[in-house]
Amino acid sequence: MSLGLAQRSRALNCFIDDIYNRQKILADGIVPADIVLDSGNYKAPCAGVSPRYGAWAHICGTDLVRDQRGKFYVLEDNLRVPSGVSYMLENREITKRVLPELLENYSIQPVDDYPSRLHSTLASLSPRPLRRPCIVVLTPGIYNSAYFEHAFLAQRMGAELVEGSDLFVDADDALYMRTVDGPIRVDVVYRRIDDDFLDPEVFREDSALGVPGIMRAWKAGNVAIANAPGAGVADDKVVYAFVPDMIRYYLDEQPLLASVKTYLCMHEKDRNYVLANLDKLVVKPANESGGYGLMIGPHASKARRAEFAKLIEDNPRNYIAQPVLSLSTAPTYIDDHVEPRHLDLRPFILQGKDTWVTRAA
Amino acid sequence: MSMLSRVAERLFWMARYLERAEDTARLIHAYTHMVMDIPKGSEPGWDILVRILDAEPNFAQHYRAYNEQNVMKFLIAEPDNPGGILSAIRAARENVRTTRDVLPGEVWEHVNELYLYAQEFAEKSISRRNRYQFLETVIARCQMINGMVVSTLPRGHAYRFIKLGQLLERADMTTRVVDVGAAALLGDERLHSTVDPLIWTSLLNSLSAMGAYRREIGPQVEAGAMVDFVLRTDTLPRSVKFCLNGIRKELVPLNNNRDALALVIKARRKLSAFDPQQCSREELHLFIDRFQFILTQLYNSIDRTWFMTEERQALTTLT
Repeated sequence: MSLGLAQRSRALNCFIDDIYNRQKILADGIVPADIVLDSGNYKAPCAGVSPRYGAWAHICGTDLVRDQRGKFYVLEDNLRVPSGVSYMLENREITKRVLPELLENYSIQPVDDYPSRLHSTLASLSPRPLRRPCIVVLTPGIYNSAYFEHAFLAQRMGAELVEGSDLFVDADDALYMRTVDGPIRVDVVYRRIDDDFLDPEVFREDSALGVPGIMRAWKAGNVAIANAPGAGVADDKVVYAFVPDMIRYYLDEQPLLASVKTYLCMHEKDRNYVLANLDKLVVKPANESGGYGLMIGPHASKARRAEFAKLIEDNPRNYIAQPVLSLSTAPTYIDDHVEPRHLDLRPFILQGKDTWVTRAA
Repeated sequence: MSMLSRVAERLFWMARYLERAEDTARLIHAYTHMVMDIPKGSEPGWDILVRILDAEPNFAQHYRAYNEQNVMKFLIAEPDNPGGILSAIRAARENVRTTRDVLPGEVWEHVNELYLYAQEFAEKSISRRNRYQFLETVIARCQMINGMVVSTLPRGHAYRFIKLGQLLERADMTTRVVDVGAAALLGDERLHSTVDPLIWTSLLNSLSAMGAYRREIGPQVEAGAMVDFVLRTDTLPRSVKFCLNGIRKELVPLNNNRDALALVIKARRKLSAFDPQQCSREELHLFIDRFQFILTQLYNSIDRTWFMTEERQALTTLT
């Protein structure tokens, strides 16, 4: 599993680096150019940038599920700002307290080295060869639903938790944070805000969360940003269908992990199949995350299926469909009793100078 | 290890708001105590407390009559009064919420508990019967939080900016307490002989300084000596002199401290040159007014030097 996830992360990073530079995979016709370049996740301002080690998606949160036969599949790759790792760490703390026998009777891998692994990964990206580069965690602020995690990781890494207004880019195109001792140069930004809000000079002008000029500093090679802007180009449910091809193309290896069979509505043959079998399939928009805007065919009303048929016909590029997997369950405490609940697993893959995968939950 | 300007600013305000909550509680506590000792009809009005905090315009937006019920409601439970106990505690909590990682874990927990307590009981503590317990709890919990900071927080930037906020607020509050003594009795000669000592005593009590005053000066509380005592005794932790010395001590290790240090020196000089024993009440009031202006300048200097981000500077120049 670990090897499979690392393989996938390497291929995805090759893909992103290729897309923003030579675009070999498009020229060779492995992936159709329009589905990549016309996607909202393709960020033109990132073209021509070569981050260190060819790594763009430094922190990848891949979702794994298991079907009724016990086989694992990759459900999706989250390459933008995946969250949830603090739950893994806190959950282990609670488990140790509540179910100590579990850890006594089974051999379970530790998880609490994640923050220090994350720190090493981020430090390896520093443009300046310092023993202790200045690393910051950039948060949208206290009202973000993942603020707890931002503060938690900053604290565990001994990094500064900053908001956009704490940072500025000076005339030398380097990034600084405002401190009581004056400006201090920042080497690595672990950003937890979306591309669109990152730099009002380049992306959304009305963003008050970002840092004007941070893209300039990044392109000049004066600061590393993790995940790199534009990495989301590979975080798209249409692109997902091509990941096995990428693994063969870039690494010349066979994929170690299975993907879920995916019908691309942009292809006429697939579309006809999907429209004829809406009651058996899950239909998903190509670049939403967190389960927004999807339809689970067997559970959907007739009207809802008709609505999706229209959506697909109007904008086939934006929809994919997959067979309904019967996901594995775990006993879950609900109110005052235990019930089965479906689950997916989210390992985190770190990609800097080295690759590292979380090995337990 | 340096500190983000934003974090320093929030720590400063956390300390300021906690000190404000404690000082307001002390003031109400002492004043209520005094009022009960004065025969009905000759007690000074409750409006004094609102005047001390310069909150008349805000008060007028919510209430009409300056009676005990309204003033207590306004000072204890009004969510829209930044000088009120409940809203000061809430503001302190908001500031710790985003800076908890630089503080000992218990500080956040206790500030949060104080907030939950105030939220539950502020509204129910307006009447004289419940007021004492509420005020005493607020004071005790604020002191507990201060104690944690003093006994567990490393002496770095976090400690420094907490101290600056606390001492600046305290110096400001002590001058206000002195001013109330002056203002309460201005132009009301008939009260002087009987009520005057009671007011000064209650004000000393609000600063936890009655015992020290008795030992240093004597049991008879007299206006000039009391004012001198709380303004200029450098061993008394709530005196203005003590606060200024403390502020100076925290400013010294900071970068770019010239402007702020110059203001502290100016304030100390004004304080030494002033003789409370020889001045009229009008002169005392005027002195306090001018002195508070220097404290405001000092705050502005701290804000400009260590807190203000460029955007806010740009905004200020625009307006």
